[in-house]
Amino acid sequence: MTDQRKGSDAEPTTHFGFKNVPESQKAEKVAEVFHSVAAKYDLMNDVLSGGMHRLWKRFTIELSGVRPGNRVLDIAGGTGDLTRKFSHLVGPTGQVVLADINASMLKVGRDRLLDKGVAGNIEFVQADAEKLPFPDNHFDVVTIAFGLRNVTHKEDALRSMLRVLKPGGRLLVLEFSKPTNALMSKVYDAYSFAFMPLAGKLITNDSESYRYLAESIRMHPNQETLKSMMVEAGFDRVTYHNMTAGIVALHRGIKP
Amino acid sequence: MLFSGLLASVEHGLNRVLRLDSTALPRLQHLNGKVIAVDCRSPSVQLFVIPGDEGLTLAAHWAADADCTLRAPASSLVRLALSQDKTSVLHSPEVELEGDSGVLLELAAILQDLELDWEYELSRWLGPVATQLFSGHLRSRARWYRQGFASLNQNLAEYLAEESRTLVGQREAEARFSELDRVKLDLERLEARFERLSRSLDPSDNA
Repeated sequence: MTDQRKGSDAEPTTHFGFKNVPESQKAEKVAEVFHSVAAKYDLMNDVLSGGMHRLWKRFTIELSGVRPGNRVLDIAGGTGDLTRKFSHLVGPTGQVVLADINASMLKVGRDRLLDKGVAGNIEFVQADAEKLPFPDNHFDVVTIAFGLRNVTHKEDALRSMLRVLKPGGRLLVLEFSKPTNALMSKVYDAYSFAFMPLAGKLITNDSESYRYLAESIRMHPNQETLKSMMVEAGFDRVTYHNMTAGIVALHRGIKP
Repeated sequence: MLFSGLLASVEHGLNRVLRLDSTALPRLQHLNGKVIAVDCRSPSVQLFVIPGDEGLTLAAHWAADADCTLRAPASSLVRLALSQDKTSVLHSPEVELEGDSGVLLELAAILQDLELDWEYELSRWLGPVATQLFSGHLRSRARWYRQGFASLNQNLAEYLAEESRTLVGQREAEARFSELDRVKLDLERLEARFERLSRSLDPSDNA
């Protein structure tokens, strides 16, 4: 499920949820969604996942193998859940970069981390995952949690992440995926298209953003497709772990 | 996922307890980034403990190599968690340590030295006045029970030893034991003297 790029003079289109939009508009539309939900992003994550997102992120940290002194890039880091933990793990000799394309999310993340007294080894960078503004072979670990599905050109983003990783460095992609169980899939569909927009309406007064969330999850590559995309981008030893019956999958690849 | 959830809850509770001791977290900071693997043999469960300035992180998996691996049956691990003298449990024969044992010994020492300020935690929930009243009452009750128990102990011992004569009193027993020790020493001396005499009378020794 790669992005559609037309060979003609017309501007190529890509999906934005179930709709097709010109590529140049996707980032803007995604930014609108996150700008709208930024203030209550954490609350909505807890409500919609029943707190499970904390366990999914926890598993990501466990598989990251981050050690003191490491340099970590948390792309689409949003409100800084992973950054906070990484900051403690890398210690004063390490560095964590919280990058997000969306200024609102980055601001919420930065304020939240500073309010919790997490500072000193963190940098905040507004950056596009497709064109990461960092030197080659710079990071020990790169993570992108619930961010890749919003990227317009996923292949470009994966190649960009490969470039900034040191050889032997790890990329961890935590993202919604395809449920492995047919029954679970039906329950999940009903939940996503009925409950999620309703909860969005009640809590953030914005059902459209949560309809987009449900649609963008369906349009995101499944476990095997994303794995092959990572292999094509140049990652080695690519594996994935399904969590909560495949609702979420964690892909891990090593830079050769 | 279920085990991870369980570990997350235990970690949360454990770190709240650690925060009750003002010295625990600064001491744990020295172990920041060290990875301790706990390999329970029966039942077979593995978990990782990563100390840091925020407390302990408990993980079911950890991609980095462990600095120290502790292998022990569940009974020893429970004993280690509950025992006051953690170092002696770590030195018991059924416990195996691999790697830098200093990390584990330091963590055990920090946990052993915990002095938890329960009153502070309670005051956050009940307020300072109610906490003072409640803890004052609790302390006086505890003192009363301690004194009552010691007094009961003493009276019972006195009754059994002095009044009912069911048991031998401590001093009486000590006197009898020291008498027996004296007799034993006298016998040993006598035996040694006999041996010396018998050796001096033995013609083969004189030759």
